[in-house]
Amino acid sequence: MNEKNNRILVNGNHAVAYGVKLAQPKVVPIYPITPQTPIVEKISEFQAAGEMVVELVTAESEHSAMAACITASLTGVRVFTATASQGLMLMHEMLHYASGARAPIVMFNVNRTIGSPWGFWPDQTDSLAQRDTGWIQYYCEHGQESLDTVLQAYRVAEKVMLPAMVMHEAFYVSHALDIVEVPAQEVVDQYLPEFNPLHRLDPELGESWGNTVNQEMFYRHRRDLGLAMDSVVDVAQEADTEWRELTGRGYGIIEKYRCEGAELVIVTMGSMVGTARDAVDNLRKEGVTVGLLKVKLFRPFPTEAVRQALMGVPKVMVLDRNFAPGTGGFLHQELKAALHGLDLGPAVHGYLTGVGGTNISPTNIASLVREAISTTPVASSVWKG
Amino acid sequence: MKETFREVPSIWTTGWTDSLNTGTWRSAMPIYQKRLAPCHCACPVDGEIPTWIMLARKQLYQEAWSALVANNPFPAVTGRICHHPCESACNRNEYDGAVAVNALEQYIGDLALTEGWALPQPTLELAPRIAVIGGGPAGLSCAYQLRQIGYKVTLFDARPELGGVLRYGIPRYRLSKEVLDGEIARLLALGIEVRLNHEVKANDLSGLEREYSAVFLAIGAQNSKTLPQFSVDDLRVFKGFEFLEKVNRGEAPQLGQEVVVIGGGSVALDVAGTARRLGSQVKVLALEARESLPAQPDELTESLEEGVEVLAGVMVQEASLGLDKISMNCVKVTLDETSPVGVLRPIPVYGTEFGVSATNVILAVGQETELTGWDSVINVGQSLVRVDANLSTNRPGVFAGGDVTPADRFVSTAIGQGKRAALSIDKYITKQPSQGYSSKQTEGSEDKVSYQEINTFYFPEKTREGKGTVSVEQRLQNFAEHKIGFSPQQTQSQSERCFSCGNCVECDNCFYFCPDMAVVKDLSLPEHYRILDQYCKGCGSCVQECPRGAVVLKEETGR
Amino acid sequence: MNMGYLINEEKVFNSGHAACPGCSEALAIRYIVNTLGPDTIGVVPPSCIAIISGPQPLSSMRMPVYQTTLEASAASATGIARALKAKGNDHTKVVVIAGDGGTYDIGFQALSSAAERNEDFIYVCLDNEGYMNTGAQKSSSTPYLAYTASTPAGKPTPKKNLAEIMAAHRIPYMATATTGYPEDLARKVAKAKEIQGLRFIVVLTPCLDGWGLADNAGPKVSRLAVETGVFPLYEVENGERYTLNFGSKGTPVSQYLSLQKRYRHLNQAQIEEIQREVDYNWQRLRHKFST
Repeated sequence: MNEKNNRILVNGNHAVAYGVKLAQPKVVPIYPITPQTPIVEKISEFQAAGEMVVELVTAESEHSAMAACITASLTGVRVFTATASQGLMLMHEMLHYASGARAPIVMFNVNRTIGSPWGFWPDQTDSLAQRDTGWIQYYCEHGQESLDTVLQAYRVAEKVMLPAMVMHEAFYVSHALDIVEVPAQEVVDQYLPEFNPLHRLDPELGESWGNTVNQEMFYRHRRDLGLAMDSVVDVAQEADTEWRELTGRGYGIIEKYRCEGAELVIVTMGSMVGTARDAVDNLRKEGVTVGLLKVKLFRPFPTEAVRQALMGVPKVMVLDRNFAPGTGGFLHQELKAALHGLDLGPAVHGYLTGVGGTNISPTNIASLVREAISTTPVASSVWKG
Repeated sequence: MKETFREVPSIWTTGWTDSLNTGTWRSAMPIYQKRLAPCHCACPVDGEIPTWIMLARKQLYQEAWSALVANNPFPAVTGRICHHPCESACNRNEYDGAVAVNALEQYIGDLALTEGWALPQPTLELAPRIAVIGGGPAGLSCAYQLRQIGYKVTLFDARPELGGVLRYGIPRYRLSKEVLDGEIARLLALGIEVRLNHEVKANDLSGLEREYSAVFLAIGAQNSKTLPQFSVDDLRVFKGFEFLEKVNRGEAPQLGQEVVVIGGGSVALDVAGTARRLGSQVKVLALEARESLPAQPDELTESLEEGVEVLAGVMVQEASLGLDKISMNCVKVTLDETSPVGVLRPIPVYGTEFGVSATNVILAVGQETELTGWDSVINVGQSLVRVDANLSTNRPGVFAGGDVTPADRFVSTAIGQGKRAALSIDKYITKQPSQGYSSKQTEGSEDKVSYQEINTFYFPEKTREGKGTVSVEQRLQNFAEHKIGFSPQQTQSQSERCFSCGNCVECDNCFYFCPDMAVVKDLSLPEHYRILDQYCKGCGSCVQECPRGAVVLKEETGR
Repeated sequence: MNMGYLINEEKVFNSGHAACPGCSEALAIRYIVNTLGPDTIGVVPPSCIAIISGPQPLSSMRMPVYQTTLEASAASATGIARALKAKGNDHTKVVVIAGDGGTYDIGFQALSSAAERNEDFIYVCLDNEGYMNTGAQKSSSTPYLAYTASTPAGKPTPKKNLAEIMAAHRIPYMATATTGYPEDLARKVAKAKEIQGLRFIVVLTPCLDGWGLADNAGPKVSRLAVETGVFPLYEVENGERYTLNFGSKGTPVSQYLSLQKRYRHLNQAQIEEIQREVDYNWQRLRHKFST
């Protein structure tokens, strides 16, 4: 722990901005979209005040912002950008391009409903719909975690050479004030090595990137990418462990909360975790043996860790604040796949709760737990408001 | 099997495409080829015109002169009096006017005289001696070329000075004495034995043959033709050539005020111009229609400027030599188009009779040879010495050229023949098989660059300039040269108009327009460029963009 | 004493590339990269240029080239230019070489924005007036009445005047060029190299296959485009100062059209209509040039 740490009262978005400032990216393309705009505004303020030395590119669209991120990263500098919802959708083509280019970009995405129709409400569908793009994905519960995870993300991304996106939800986290500890620059400098990629766009190296490849080259490239993604579980765990050693704060890639002897474990991501914590405490007071499994690292899905955590647990209730037509809840689907064939695995309920940003309180969760305990799960996700 | 995780992406590009042989794509390859310019094809002396113009353009005047005198030792002379078929053939005619080749030649020729440049001495001295009979343009040219090869030459001329028609038949105002003397003296400095005032007759031939290994007969056609309407015994009547000769010798006859010249050729107009300068009014009566006059168009223009009255398409039917005047009954004529070439058959147009009177009549109706006795030693037909394609007569070792043979009667033609004869004589003496001389004039035109092959984009329009002329008043005052040669600036500017058809000037267009960089500069090659076989795709851009047709596309068969 | 062009080149463009024989784009690329030199990073979107850039693992340019998505050339170049600046590199140049599809159409937004921000790179559009790499479909650069695979009866709308649009952005340097005038093209690239900010050059590059031309006709057709007034060569500095380099010589546009298969279907009335359009545009442009 370092005496130079700063405790400030900020909203989740601004906390992210403080984290980005510590990471010292050199190029930050920005484009405004509710509700992430305060992140980039804060960064702009830091730059204007001379607290950040950074090239701010006011791109004309998120697609261009991501295009600029990729090339800046390939030219050999650390980059950052932030977006939400529509902006993330618009970037979709470039998200694939970034991971294929093995550009270790870190992007913050504030989870917001996707049109149409229009809405600005918390919903994780926007980033979850990008789960196949080859980006590492983290889901954060509160502002402090968002700040810390941005820094962990740089470390992991630059180690495996894959881009990473870090999420927190619209308004519940992005605009909620909280006390946040901002680590000292020296701590972060210890934690994050200088970014100096071996291969880059540099006339001294003369290497080019982007030629059309043949089928065999493409296949190899995808396998390489897959190997990199698979290694993230260990790398992310190690990064989190070291962060804990440096700052006293660690989150794990998953977190078990009061799962001892639980007859049912709630599994969820993002701000819902915070609400579920309260529900678990209340239920435990009432004698219901319920626990909570927070999934923080969603991509790659921490299959082994989740199987170990849920082995022997009779029931699981997945809460998804997201929805894919024809599939249901993303976490529900991924969890079922992760648990497949597990001896002594749980029966899994999948509830769609809070899709479109509807309010889910600890009381709602508690009643869902009771219902889940007393009913047999069905295969598909069930709408629960 | 667990694969190890590779940290580095595998798709960075680190190699270069110049290992790829795109030359396999093509079916045709560009070849640099020096091709014939139309001026060169038309030149009677086989002059390498684009070459010497290019040297002049680079202001390498002595090199240009060297290129000129390889074929013609008298550029200052021909630069004044040549009928310049090169300009008529010039491709630039179809664009914005022919290149002023003749004026450029004059500039270089005059510069050589001013600078005192010497003709190259022969590199060998050979034993055989050659007799050249006739010191006119054909004989002088032959003597020069023979001397260049290394032979010993003796040049015979019946007159007191060398030059033939150059000295005696061309008025001074067209070719000054100083220029002619300078060019002849420079030639003689190569070591040619000259025997003046020495007429060689037919029965001298066998004696010459004992002394000399070969003989070149170039005695010209010095007899003026006469007309039956006029008696040449009358002192008021002159024969054209003799008249000019007298004037050139400084013995100009007295002329009355009204001189009539009969004839439509260059000689007739030379006579007319001479008579004007001697102070007379001059009328020229020619059988040919104005547009068909054998004289050069610019000669006609000058005559008219000088106040000569030219009556074309007329004939003198009858002349009476009165005491006071000579009266002529004339009539307008048309020429019978069915008559053979060279034969003029006038058809009087009845009702167009008119009268002309004169104090003098000068006949300039053509020249004839004087070959009395020669027909017993060599073949003579229709008053001309018969020669084969090598300019050999039927008598081994005896060659002939110039106006004494059937040839176009131009000075430059005679000079060209003199050279050809010298080469034939050399083959004869060294007993090499004689071959038909491949003059560029007679060669097939497949290799000649046409105007369509010139990429005129690269030639901004620039007006052709001609030589200046002295004012008419000044002209009529004396026999000083009436044409003003080019200045150095004009020479520079006008030489830049030459397309250089078929002759690469290293403008580098081929090099610049290749999208595959398959044309490289290589000074070790004669053409200075090389096509890279492994890259050239055969698109032909270099050929299209060569402004002057010096690169051609050749199909490749069997690779 | 020089008889022809004099162009200084560094050896950046390699032979062995896959351009069609006589390709105008390859000729343009030669003068762009050989003038800029090896201390340059290139950005190329999908286009024939990308094909010419070389089959993996080989490159036809001895400088780093990044191939991007079709709409993102200007944004990608921005990222590189900013990263170089952040690294304190003030000497490496960044150049986009993009086709008209990726510039006039899908790439226009990013280009306009980069121009508004005056990003520090050179954007060269090789304009062959259509999506030629995919088989000659219409782009907004295709001229009025030209045949393309997607406008077989002739394009019903005029060519977008991107040169003037870019000049209106008031960028430091805008120029038009074409491969029939290689020295002029090289001069403009050399001039752009020395200027900071967004420099834009649009190069008319006749496509032999797409326009229906003989293998050797590229430079000739491009010169006719200039001499007829279809594509005048000029420069605009800061949106204000207009300089004419090579303008119309009054050559009838039919001489230009008759060489191209993509205009084979025109009737006399249509040719006259095109002549009027060309004359009108030329007259409008002429007034902008200072004497």
